[in-house]
Amino acid sequence: MKKLIELDINGRLYEVAVNDRDLLLDVIRKKAGLFGTKKGCGEGDCGACTVLIDGKPELACLKLAIACQGKKITTVEGLIQEGGALHPIQQAFVDHGAVQCGFCTPGMIMSAKGLLDRNPKPTLYDIKHELSGNICRCTGYKRIIEAVQAAAEVWSKEGVK
Amino acid sequence: MFLNHFEYFAPKTSRETLELVSRLGNKAKILAGGTDLMVLMKAKAISPEYLIDINGVEEFKGIVCEEGKGAVIGANTKLAEIQFSEELKAKYPALAYAAGEVGSSQVRHMASLGGNTCNASPAADTPIPLVALGTKVVINSLSGERELLLEDFIQNVRKTNLAEGEMLTNFILPEPVPQSACRYTYMGRRDAMEIDIVNMAVNIELETDGETIKNVKLVMGSVYPRPLVSKEVPPLLIGQKLSEALIEKAAEAAQGEAKPIDDIRASAEYRREIVKVLARRLLKETYDAAKGV
Ligand SMILES: Cc1cc2nc3c(=O)[nH]c(=O)nc-3n(C[C@H](O)[C@H](O)[C@H](O)COP(=O)(O)OP(=O)(O)OC[C@H]3O[C@@H](n4cnc5c(N)ncnc54)[C@H](O)[C@@H]3O)c2cc1C
Ligand code: FES
Ligand code: FES
Repeated sequence: MKKLIELDINGRLYEVAVNDRDLLLDVIRKKAGLFGTKKGCGEGDCGACTVLIDGKPELACLKLAIACQGKKITTVEGLIQEGGALHPIQQAFVDHGAVQCGFCTPGMIMSAKGLLDRNPKPTLYDIKHELSGNICRCTGYKRIIEAVQAAAEVWSKEGVK
Repeated sequence: MFLNHFEYFAPKTSRETLELVSRLGNKAKILAGGTDLMVLMKAKAISPEYLIDINGVEEFKGIVCEEGKGAVIGANTKLAEIQFSEELKAKYPALAYAAGEVGSSQVRHMASLGGNTCNASPAADTPIPLVALGTKVVINSLSGERELLLEDFIQNVRKTNLAEGEMLTNFILPEPVPQSACRYTYMGRRDAMEIDIVNMAVNIELETDGETIKNVKLVMGSVYPRPLVSKEVPPLLIGQKLSEALIEKAAEAAQGEAKPIDDIRASAEYRREIVKVLARRLLKETYDAAKGV
């Protein structure tokens, strides 16, 4: 039997009918119509489905939608700045050529956001360690790491949120 | 990859949770971080009829770490909290380090300490330092509470001492004694997101001379169906000052006790070799840490 629940995604309330077994990833994509969040492995290994839940990076492919009531969910679409500008992390990914096919990018960016919110001045080790759950098959990690380092600089200077 | 149909419960208090656990029995599974449970359900390895989500219960979360009084960690405390806790990093660096080496950042923000233990995987990271530290688990049911050493709680692959109607609620870590240190290490194919080939923790306590070993505990993971506490290493080292020759002997003893298997990650032969390598390194590292160098 479906239940009507409310989910706060990017500050907007979505009223959705879900089964107990529905996964957050499917609800974000199919019911909220937000296609930024990607489905890769579906088993927790690739990080393509990373979203922030109450500010912490979590895997939407292993999360029940019904368990997310009353929580703040942020997807890559939620990073958009006033006037439609890109978020500094997104801009850094563009500037540093850290996007190729782009499939891993939303997850990478959400992981990077989770890291920088907690630790705005990460070391190279911190970046590698905290982004190791995001797999990229095309760009290679060097440019992605450079992009996060560049974003961290903007972050420390301008105090982005 | 759909999940089976189940009924979902989200209790708010420990009493409500225990009532559900008691009433629904083996047809139900507790849902903490879901990083083991959801994967198993997606693979259709298990199909519980009920899920009891404990994430709304504040009593199951949190770290209480008081000066001189050890620590109490709630079963549903997330591994990321343990990884970043300044208090735990100072008092129990082996545990904070092991928590920070589990899976990925996302996994650690979801996964709980209790889930890592209750899943009872022989390759799990955190039970190894917890056992070396002499941790007890608190088990609750409607009929009361009992305590058990963690090393007696994990019994076999995916098997714990929990009876129907019971759940794990807390971990109790004893206060580290003066002149002691505990360290953790592991070996995997790669650094990130890797299930360990061998993992190990060593806890060493020194006499007041700051050199003679008073107590030692060496615990191995991934080489036995449950965390393996070495019986042969303590008699070799207690009363001695650590030397290269003794390290070699102790490492060989640990190697002899390990009973690893061949699997997709490594051969038994390779694992036995690694036990020796890790034991050598870790005994030295822990001894030096206990001496304060
Ligand atoms: C991509 C990925 C990488 C991983 N890497 C590692 C790794 O490197 N090292 C490692 O050790 N593990 C790893 N794991 C496994 C997993 O993340 C850990 O075992 C984790 O700690 C499980 O905790 P959880 O809260 O998610 O448990 P859940 O999945 O919620 O629960 C696990 C089991 O324990 C039971 N349970 C949970 N809490 C309680 C309780 N309080 N009382 C009674 N029963 C309970 C559940 O019913 C279930 O059977 C990985 C998992 C994934 C998906
Ligand atoms: S789709 Fe969630 S981790 Fe791969
Ligand atoms: S850009 Fe293609 S997977 Fe990363």
